[in-house]
Amino acid sequence: MTMRSSLRYLHRGEIRDVSHFGPMTTLLDHLRLERGLKGTKEGCNEGDCGACTVVLGRLVDGHVSYRPVNACIQLLGQIDGEELITIEDLAASDGTLHPVQSAMVDLHGSQCGYCTPGIVMSLFALYQADGPVGRSEVTDQLAGNLCRCTGYRPIVDAALSACAARTENKPGDHVASKSAETAVKLASLRDGADLFVGSQTSFFAAPASIESLATLYHQHPDAILVAGATDVGLWITKQLRQLPKIIHLGRVVGLAEVHETADGLTIGAAATFSDVEAHMTAIDPDLGEVWRRIGSKQVRASGTVGGNIANGSPIGDSPPALIALDATLTLQKGDDTRKMPLEAYFIAYGKQDRKPGEFVRSIHVPRLKPHQVFRAYKISKRFDQDISAVMSAFRLTLEGDFIREARIAFGGMAATPKRAHGAEKALVGASLADEASWAAALAAIRADFTPLSDMRASATYRSDTAAALLEKALIEIAGTSTHATRVTGHRPVSEAAE
Amino acid sequence: MGARLFGASVQRLEDARLVTGRGRYVDDIHPAGVVHAAFVRSSLAHGLIQSIDTSVARTMPGVLAVYVMSDFAAFASGPLPQLAPHPLIQGPITYEPLASGEVRHVGEAIAMVLATSRAEAEDAAERINLDIEPLPVAADLAHALDPDAPKARSERADNRLATLKTAFGDVAGTFARADHVLKETFTVHRGGCHSMETRGVIATFDADDRRLEMWTSSQSPYLVRRNLASYFGLDESAVRVRAPDVGGGFGPKAAVYPEEAAVALAAMMTGKPVKWIEDRSEHFLATTQQRDQIWELEVAASNDGRLLGVRGRCLHDNGAYAPYGAILPATALGSFPGPYALEALDISIDIVLTNLVPTTPVRGASRPSVAFVLERLADRVARHLGLPREEIRRRSFIRVEQMPYVTGTKARDGSPISYDSGDYTAALNLVLDKIDADGFAARRAEAASRGKLLGLGLASCVEDTGLGPFEGATVRVSSRGRVIVTTGAASQGQGHQTTLAQIAADALGVSLENVSVEAADSGKFPLGISTIASRVAVTAGSSVELAAQQVRRKALKTASHLLEAAEDDLEIENGVVFVKGASDVKVTLATLAQSLAGTAGMRLPGGIEPDLAATAYFESTALTFAHGSNACEVEVDPETGDVRITRYVVAHDCGRLINPLIVDGQIRGGVIHGIGNALYERMIHDDQGQPLTATYADYLLPMASEMPNIEIYHLESPSPRNPLGVKGAGEGGTIPAAACVISAIEDAIGPGGTFLRHHPISFEEVAGLIDTRTI
Repeated sequence: MTMRSSLRYLHRGEIRDVSHFGPMTTLLDHLRLERGLKGTKEGCNEGDCGACTVVLGRLVDGHVSYRPVNACIQLLGQIDGEELITIEDLAASDGTLHPVQSAMVDLHGSQCGYCTPGIVMSLFALYQADGPVGRSEVTDQLAGNLCRCTGYRPIVDAALSACAARTENKPGDHVASKSAETAVKLASLRDGADLFVGSQTSFFAAPASIESLATLYHQHPDAILVAGATDVGLWITKQLRQLPKIIHLGRVVGLAEVHETADGLTIGAAATFSDVEAHMTAIDPDLGEVWRRIGSKQVRASGTVGGNIANGSPIGDSPPALIALDATLTLQKGDDTRKMPLEAYFIAYGKQDRKPGEFVRSIHVPRLKPHQVFRAYKISKRFDQDISAVMSAFRLTLEGDFIREARIAFGGMAATPKRAHGAEKALVGASLADEASWAAALAAIRADFTPLSDMRASATYRSDTAAALLEKALIEIAGTSTHATRVTGHRPVSEAAE
Repeated sequence: MGARLFGASVQRLEDARLVTGRGRYVDDIHPAGVVHAAFVRSSLAHGLIQSIDTSVARTMPGVLAVYVMSDFAAFASGPLPQLAPHPLIQGPITYEPLASGEVRHVGEAIAMVLATSRAEAEDAAERINLDIEPLPVAADLAHALDPDAPKARSERADNRLATLKTAFGDVAGTFARADHVLKETFTVHRGGCHSMETRGVIATFDADDRRLEMWTSSQSPYLVRRNLASYFGLDESAVRVRAPDVGGGFGPKAAVYPEEAAVALAAMMTGKPVKWIEDRSEHFLATTQQRDQIWELEVAASNDGRLLGVRGRCLHDNGAYAPYGAILPATALGSFPGPYALEALDISIDIVLTNLVPTTPVRGASRPSVAFVLERLADRVARHLGLPREEIRRRSFIRVEQMPYVTGTKARDGSPISYDSGDYTAALNLVLDKIDADGFAARRAEAASRGKLLGLGLASCVEDTGLGPFEGATVRVSSRGRVIVTTGAASQGQGHQTTLAQIAADALGVSLENVSVEAADSGKFPLGISTIASRVAVTAGSSVELAAQQVRRKALKTASHLLEAAEDDLEIENGVVFVKGASDVKVTLATLAQSLAGTAGMRLPGGIEPDLAATAYFESTALTFAHGSNACEVEVDPETGDVRITRYVVAHDCGRLINPLIVDGQIRGGVIHGIGNALYERMIHDDQGQPLTATYADYLLPMASEMPNIEIYHLESPSPRNPLGVKGAGEGGTIPAAACVISAIEDAIGPGGTFLRHHPISFEEVAGLIDTRTI
C-alpha cells in the first residue's frame, strides 16, 4: 500500500499540499492563522453557533456534492481529497456578489455581520443542492447557525429569494459553473494511498483501507479514532486535551458505505448522519424526523452514526431509535469481528463494550416487517439543535389489533439508552382496540426507569412524559389520532404572508 | 430641496463587506509581533486567594510571561475607577484588573499568561495552580438581605449596595381611596448577552512616548479611554481607543472590563502588542449579564378599570461588582409609569450584591422587566374586574391630548421627565386590528378542534430614548468631493454607516455612495459617550444634521464668492453647486473643498474660514419617548407544554424613520431577544454560584425554525426635541416582548388558570399548569 505524507485539498481551483501540521490543528485555525483567511469567524468553538461554517465539496457518483461543516471542530486532516470553499470565494473576481450574498444585502439579512459569513456559507450549500426550497428546508439548513441581531426572518427570506431565482445552470454562481472542472480535479486526488502526517509519537493518519486501519490501530491502540470529530473536536477546543495520535476513518474505502439488503440496512462506521438520512426516512418517516433533528446540517454532515455509538454519548438521539428497531453492531479488532445487539454495547454511563484497539465496523438496522409499526418522539426545549429531555422510540409487531411484540427504547431516562422491558412485556397481548388493555404497560413504564432531575427536565416530568409518549404512540397506531397531534412530526413553519 | 434619502429603505453601505467576509473585527487585526493572552479564572464563587503557583506554566512552550496583580505594581494598583459614579454607592465596588485577594464570582480573572499563540497561552493557563480558601457564597437573591445571609463581599456590612427610590402623588390616599388594591410578586431572570462576537482587545504601548493604543470590541471606546487613562495616570490624549467592526453589543460591551485593563498592562510590561480574544466559555463566566429581579408590587385600580397607582419594592441582583454604578436599577425607576397615567407611584429598589457575574444593561436594560410587571398588573386588574385586557389599557393610558405629559418621575440629571409625543391608544388599536382580535375566538375554537390551546397576548410600553448629553460629529468634504462623517458613536450592527450617511447626503446634495462614515476612533474624533439606550439616532444623527447643514452653508457661501452669484440662487445636486436656472454656472464640492484647503501664499476666497467642514455636538437635554403595542398568538400543546408562537404583530412609534429597513431589523431582532427571554434563555447557577448552563448546548438561544414572522407597523409622532424628529429604535422590540408572550400563554391556559408571575417559563412548567382532564 502506498503512503502519502502530506495533506492535499482543492481550493480556488488549485491543489494545496500541506506537509506539516499538528494532528489537532482545526480547519478554522488553519484558515485564520496559517492561511490568513479571516472571513471565517469563531463564535463558540464548539460547533453550536455556525459562525465558522465553510463548505466542503466531494465527489459523489461523479458529481461534486457540497455540504456545510463547522470549521472550528473540523480537523484539518479530515478535508484531505476535498474541495474547500470559504466566504472569500463566493463573489466573482470582479466583485459581483453571489446570488445568496446579494439576497442577504437586499433583504437586510446582516446586522453586525459576525454570524453572516457562516450563514452565507450554509445558504450557499443549500443553493448548490437541487430540489425545491421552501421555508422548512431553509430553517433546517439554518439549524446550526445562531444570529442574535436579525431574528432570522430576513435571512430565511433571502434564502428563499435566492433559491427561487435559481435555474439549472445557476447563473452568477462561479462555483457551479466550474463544477465539471472541479470534478476532474477531485478525481485526481483519489489516490487510494494511506495518509500519514507526522511521526510515530504524534501523527494524523487517514488509512485508505480496512486492512491499513486495522493494522495501524493495532500498532497504536492509544490513538484516537476520529470519524466526524463533532465530539472529539470539543475534546480539543474545550477540554484542551492533548491528542497526539489521531486516526481518521473518513478515507477508509468501504467504511462509509451503506448496504441495502432485503431485510435491512448495513451502515458503515464512517457513514455520516447526512449520508443515511434518506435511508432512515425510507424505513419510517418518524425515523427520518428524528434524524432531521440530530444536531444541525453541519453536525450531520460530519458526525457519523458509528462515532455517535462508539463514543457512547449518553445524549445521542439515534441509539434509542436504532435499539427499538433491533439494530446490531459489528466491532472489529485486527482481523477479528464480533456482533452484538446495540443495547448490549452500552454498559453504563460513559462505559461501552469496546476493547482497546477495537473499532466499530458497521451497524445493521432491520427494516420494518409488514406487521410492524414504528413511532419516535423527541422532547426538547428548543426544536432545533437541542439535547433531548426525553427521546423515545417504539416498534410494535401486530397481529390484527393485538400486540405480539413490543420494543421500546428511551434516551434521557437513564445513564444509557435503555429499553422499557416492563412495558414491553405488559404490552404483549394488549389490544389496540381496547384502551383498558394498555393500563398495565402505562404503569409498567414508570417502573422501568428512575430518571434524574436536571436542567432539562425533572424526574417527574420525564416519567410523566415517558408514559404520555407511550400512550400517544398507542393512540396514533390505533388510528384514532392524526399526525397533527404529534410532538415530533413535521412542525409546520409559518408561511404567513408578509 | 426635499429629503431624498431620509425615510427611504436604502440598502446598507456596510453589507458588501460583511457578506463577503471582509468585516474587520478585533480578532481579525494582527499587529506585527503580537502575543496572545489567556486568563486563569476562579472556579469558586467566593474565596480568598491563598497562593498562585505559576512555576510550571512559566516553563511551558511559547510562554513569555505569567502575571498576577502584584506584577503590575509599577503601572497600576487597586480597583478600576467607577465608570458611572453614583452618590449612594460607597466604597470601591469595581474590579481589579486581576483579583489579588478576594474572588467574588466564578470566572473572575486571577492570573494571565502571555504566549506566542493563543493555544499555548491556554495550555499554560491550565497548568497554573490556584489555592483559594472558600468563603460562604451569596447566590440566593431572595434571601441575600436576610440578617444571617452570607456576605458577597467580606469588607461590607451586608449585601445591600444601595436603595434607590422614586415616588409621586398622594400614594397613601390613592391606595386608601381605590376600589381595588391587588398585590403580586414577580420575578424576572438574568439571562445573558450573547453577541455572536465575544469580547476581544488588543493593546500596544510605546514606552518612549508613553502612548497606549487599543482596539476593543466595545460599545464605549471613549469610556474605555477615560477609565484606563485615569487608572494608569495617563493623559487621555496619550490613549487611543478604537472599536473596529463589533459583532453585536446588546449592552454588556458598554462596560469597561478588567481584561481590557490587564491586556493594556501586559502591553506596558512587555512593550509588545498583546491580544486577548474571549472564549465563548469565558463569555458565560465573565461578561456581564441581564438581571435577576424580584418585584413585590401593589396596584390600585378603580371599578371602571383605571390603573391609579403602583407601589412596592424590587430586589435587584447586581452581582459581585458594580462596574457600571447603579445604571441598570436606575433604568427601572426611569421606566415608570410606562404608558399609564398613574395618580401615584412609590417604588424602591434594593441593589443587592451576590456572588454572581455583575448585571449591567442588556437590550432594554431594566425596561423589559418594568414593562413585564406593569403589563402583568394591567392583566391582573383585567382578570379581577372581568374586563377585557385592552379596555384596562385604553382607560388607563396617557392620552394624546395630554402630550407633552409630565409623569412625576425624574431623569438621571434630576430634571422632571415629560413624554414628548405619541398616541398610545392608536398603537393599541392598530395592533389589535392587525392581529384580528375580533376573529380570535374562531381561531381558538379551530385550534381546540386540533387539541391545541390558542392564546392571545398583549403588551404595551413606553421607552425613553436619546439619552444625553451628546454624540458629536464632524462632516468634512474631501478634496475629491467625498463627504466624510466622523463620529464617536460606535456601531455594533445598527447600520450607522448608512443612516448617518443618509442624513449627510441629503443635507449636502450628494449620493449615498459619496459619503463615508468613520466612527469610534478616539484618534479621529475627540469625544464620545456610548452606543447605549437607543440614543445614537437622536444624538449622533442630529449632530450630523447640524454639522452637514453648516457645511452646506459654508459651501454655498464659498460658491457664491467663486460664482459671483447670490447664495439664495444656488442649489446643490450630485456634488455640484450651480445657479438655479443656469446649471452651467457651477462649481463642484471638490473644488470648493480644495479652495478652502488653502494654497501657499494665496488668500482664502471671501475671507471664509479654512476647511469645508463643521463639527456639531447636538445636546440631547430631554429624553424622547418611543412607544408601542405588541400582540401575539401562541399555540400550546397541552400534553407537553410545548409553546409555539404563531403570530406576532408590532405597532411601534419611534418618530420619524431614517431608514425603515433598518428600523424594522432593529425591532424584529429585539422581539426575538424578548422571546428568548420569555421561553428559552436560562442562566442557571447552583446554590454555590456555579453556572450550570455555560455552553450553547445548555443555554438555548432562539433559532430560526421557531421564530415567527414579526409583522411591523409604524406610527410616526415626530419628536419636537431634536432637529430630525427621531426617537430611538434599538430596544423597543425587546421591551414588551416577554410580557406579550407570557400574557398569551396565560390566555391559552384559560381564565381559570394560574396567573403567571415570572419568565422564562419552561414547557415543563406550562404542562404543569394545564389540567389535561378538562381539555
